[in-house]
Amino acid sequence: MKDGILLQATSLCKTFGGLKAVDDVSLSLRSGIITTLVGPNGAGKTTLFNLMTGHLAPDGGEVTWLGKSILGLTDWKIARLGIGRSFQDLKLFAHMTVEENIETVTERSSWLWQPGGATGKRSRKATVEAALVATDLAGKRHVRAVDLAYAERKFLSLARILASGARLWLLDEPASGLDPGSYERFLSLLRRQVHEGVTICIIEHNLDIVQGVSDRIVFLDRGRLLAEGDPKTILSDPALAAIYFGERAA
Amino acid sequence: MWAYAVNLAVLISINAILAVTLNFILGYAGIFSLAHALFFGVGAYAATFVAMKFGAGFISATGAGMALSALISLALALPALRVRGEYFVAASLGLQMLAITVFTEWKSVTGGIGGLTNIPPARIAGFEIVRPEYFLLLALISLVLVTLIVRALVRSSFGRSLKAIRDDETAASTFGKNVAVIKTVAVVLSSALAAVAGSLYAFYLSFINVESFGLETSIQVMAMVIIGGTATLIGPVIGSILILLLPAALSYLPYLPTTEIGSIQQIAYGLAMVLLMIYRPGGLWGFQEVPKGSQT
Repeated sequence: MKDGILLQATSLCKTFGGLKAVDDVSLSLRSGIITTLVGPNGAGKTTLFNLMTGHLAPDGGEVTWLGKSILGLTDWKIARLGIGRSFQDLKLFAHMTVEENIETVTERSSWLWQPGGATGKRSRKATVEAALVATDLAGKRHVRAVDLAYAERKFLSLARILASGARLWLLDEPASGLDPGSYERFLSLLRRQVHEGVTICIIEHNLDIVQGVSDRIVFLDRGRLLAEGDPKTILSDPALAAIYFGERAA
Repeated sequence: MWAYAVNLAVLISINAILAVTLNFILGYAGIFSLAHALFFGVGAYAATFVAMKFGAGFISATGAGMALSALISLALALPALRVRGEYFVAASLGLQMLAITVFTEWKSVTGGIGGLTNIPPARIAGFEIVRPEYFLLLALISLVLVTLIVRALVRSSFGRSLKAIRDDETAASTFGKNVAVIKTVAVVLSSALAAVAGSLYAFYLSFINVESFGLETSIQVMAMVIIGGTATLIGPVIGSILILLLPAALSYLPYLPTTEIGSIQQIAYGLAMVLLMIYRPGGLWGFQEVPKGSQT
């Protein structure tokens, strides 16, 4: 792993019609830290996630994982490399139970059986249990995802990534709408995971949360990367604050 | 009356096999196929062909039908399942129409519109199943076996993958699931199992023709699944019973002219479907749809 970089995006570009959603963005996600993408609506944050995870094909640029190009790989192949992501709308398996939601992400084979026999099954079961405990969802294991409370759905989306064994978590507004108690549990879960070696990249709008979790901040606006650095430097920059709060010059 | 009841029970069992196997892809994987009657037909023609040409018994004739159905479904699924749902519906409709032409025109194998007659009775271990009561037993055993196979599949990791794809295809692939392969395997299994119904049908009636394997049959089987309850094991069986009993029940109503029963039956199906979509979208036995606004 060169310079501790897990995922490297170089000069990524994506245009929708005449709109440059991502414009020549280069970004390194370093191992073992939390990087936060901030910027006003329409800055290109989610599009950047989509480009890095194979959900969209870039018009130009390169994406590497551990130094090897992953450009052109399908989303499921990229996922199998160890890149997990969540979505703003969560995309839970709504009619499956909490346990099934987590269990199915541990089952990667497309055929009628999973490899590893009984040992593999025990190992997957243990992974599911660990994810249920880590997200306080053990008591809800038989509840359908659609019947969960909002915060529980958020934690289920994290439980799936946790159980998938991803080394890099790309989280799209994971804390939005959480009550203070759930927010503390969320922070504690993220810190524990980073401590255990997971690398995290978050899209977040709430600046208190950004300040609370970030080791590094990347500021995007209108598809361009404007600044990156430690939270104190970025959040105290009056020019960036003006852009963020919509006070930009015409 | 007894013979009539046995006949109806055999036909219900055969249709229930079709409904259970369609539900495997429709209810558990969210794949809407309008070509299920095609695989019913392939099973019937293939079983008839090997039985008449080579003297095959029920099990080997059914095996031949299943193998051919699996192969043909693979040809449909491989290109069509790489795209999203609505394209598969269109592709399956196209294949169903194509199949009707082939069934009609390939006279040396299918007998054309006139069909195939004098199909020998089903034979298992040298024993010929001629009596309708014994055939009912065979049809019920087949239904139970097919249902148990589907039950085992949907409770396995493969079944969870299907349900994940049904609920959110994007999320499923985000978690490393090869959606195209999983859907293809599901369609192949469903089509192969539907061929069992075709084989039973051919041996039971000892006559088949293209009219039994048209788009109307595909739609009727879909109605059985939707009315009975998608993503349940029992729902499609209930749907089959209701849909096949309805014309029988209507024929007993004294004030209905027999010539109008067909039209009234169509109205009843349509009305039942509309009411179910409004009040019980999961079907009579199925899960209840989530209230608007609580969807994730």
